[in-house]
Amino acid sequence: MNPRKLILYVAGQTPKSLAAIANLERICAEHLPGQYEVEVVDLRQNPKLAREHSIVAIPTLVRELPVPIRKLIGDLSDTHKVLVNLSISDGV
Amino acid sequence: MSASPSEKDRLIADLRLTLAEAEETLRAIRENEVDALVMRGPVEEEIFNIGGDAESYRAFMEAMEPGALALDNAGRILYANGALTQLIGKPLAQLQGKRLLDVLPSDAGTEISLLLGDAHTARQSREVRFPRDGEGELDLHFLAAAFPLRLGTIAGHAVTFANVTDRVYNEGVEQSEHAARAVIDSANEAVLVCDRNGVITHANAASGIVHEGERVGRVFADIIPLVFRDTTDLMEADDMIAMVIAGTPLRGVEATATNAPKVKDYLVSAAPLRVAGDRISGAVITMVDLSQRKAAEKQQQLLVRELDHRVKNTLAMVASISARTAAKADTVEAFQEIFSGRIQALAATHNLLLQNSWSSLELGEIVQSELAPYVEDAAGNVTIDGLKIAVAPRAAIAFGLVVHELTTNAVKYGALSQEGGHLAVRAVGGGAGKSEPFVIEWREAGGPQVPPLGRKGFGYTVITRSLQYGSGGGAEFDFDPSGLVCRISIPPEDLS
Repeated sequence: MNPRKLILYVAGQTPKSLAAIANLERICAEHLPGQYEVEVVDLRQNPKLAREHSIVAIPTLVRELPVPIRKLIGDLSDTHKVLVNLSISDGV
Repeated sequence: MSASPSEKDRLIADLRLTLAEAEETLRAIRENEVDALVMRGPVEEEIFNIGGDAESYRAFMEAMEPGALALDNAGRILYANGALTQLIGKPLAQLQGKRLLDVLPSDAGTEISLLLGDAHTARQSREVRFPRDGEGELDLHFLAAAFPLRLGTIAGHAVTFANVTDRVYNEGVEQSEHAARAVIDSANEAVLVCDRNGVITHANAASGIVHEGERVGRVFADIIPLVFRDTTDLMEADDMIAMVIAGTPLRGVEATATNAPKVKDYLVSAAPLRVAGDRISGAVITMVDLSQRKAAEKQQQLLVRELDHRVKNTLAMVASISARTAAKADTVEAFQEIFSGRIQALAATHNLLLQNSWSSLELGEIVQSELAPYVEDAAGNVTIDGLKIAVAPRAAIAFGLVVHELTTNAVKYGALSQEGGHLAVRAVGGGAGKSEPFVIEWREAGGPQVPPLGRKGFGYTVITRSLQYGSGGGAEFDFDPSGLVCRISIPPEDLS
């Protein structure tokens, strides 16, 4: 199976960041169990990490793998939108 | 600068992607989907919160004494202050992003979801209980208040938890103390409660009988010294309390309260006081006034002596009646008849007296009782008038015997021996101010002419002498040709 990786960029405990973390955990557990490696990056701890994926708005979810990279901005409360974005151009 | 056509295509594709990302970012910001932005500063990137200053509300929440938390509209914990993380028993990092309902005990969670349901537009509050598992740990009670809140770009709730455990338990303790006090106060016996040092902590009103002055705060043994019977002075009040606090109750022991103002004799009981768990926190002493019981015992002794006296009197009277009857009776059958008649007369008066608790008896009742075996109520040949006069038992018994003899005589030889005869028994005077004898006239008419009663007969003796025990008492005959007339005088001292 191709490597798959999601990175969620958050900023400390802003309400949207917390909501995004909780929503992502839920979506992964309910719809994509075991399919993605998930990393949460707290830009308040290390703002430089925003450069790698040119993050501007927080929270932002980045599908790093498989390529092409996909970005999804917001608290991930729209499950359907998240699933569509993660599966589009999957190439699988 | 030149580029190959394929490089140009890739560049254009990248630019399009960047443009799409920029548009998406703007849309997300416009639509409140983000709450922080990354800005490229002169040295490095900086993070800016937008739409609300999270730090200030957190600082404010930390300063609050009650537990406080911020929830988003899905009930997830955005932030909880130190007081609340302590209450839930988990660090903030483990709570953030979790649904509040999942980290609370189930009962509390249900209450909170009801509360959040109510608090859409305005502040609502509800009492919430946090059960404790530890042994001896009391459940915690909180007044939870929720109000709608907008944190930056999202809607949610602020919830506070004010600890009202003390108030709830104080109310409970106050209620049970109220009840206990009411029970003690309503007791007729003296009830005193001591702490482990023998110092009185509660004393009901009835305990004034053992010590009139201030009782609460004083040492029991100091103000209420007790001498216990049958303990040869080995035990005193303080020994009793020590024994009870050690766990041995004392039930119904007679004791003398030497310093008590009036009543000295008490029946003392004492029991260990257990307020919480098994630990004995004092003693409850109950003291029952024995004076009433003593008085009852005295009354009983008096009654036994009185009964003894009466029985002896009655036996003496029976012996006398027997001897006199035997002296005059010609045959055993005649003796039996007359003797049993006289004993029955005695018994009838006794019965009447018993019904009146040996207090007093009306003369009219005695006359009716003696005549009853011989005269029908509706016969109309007997008139009784003015005899609603009560007399003492002594006079009642004597009068009963007199009436019996007169009745027997009238039935055998006088007015009641034939049709047309008439008997009138009525008051004829005296008795005023209880200083002179009360006189009753027994007058027969319409009967056969009979010779005067034999002066030596027992009947004559009974009639004339029975009431002579008191001043002016007695009876005399007037043998009118038309019938027997007898005037009976009751001694004034026996008129009630």
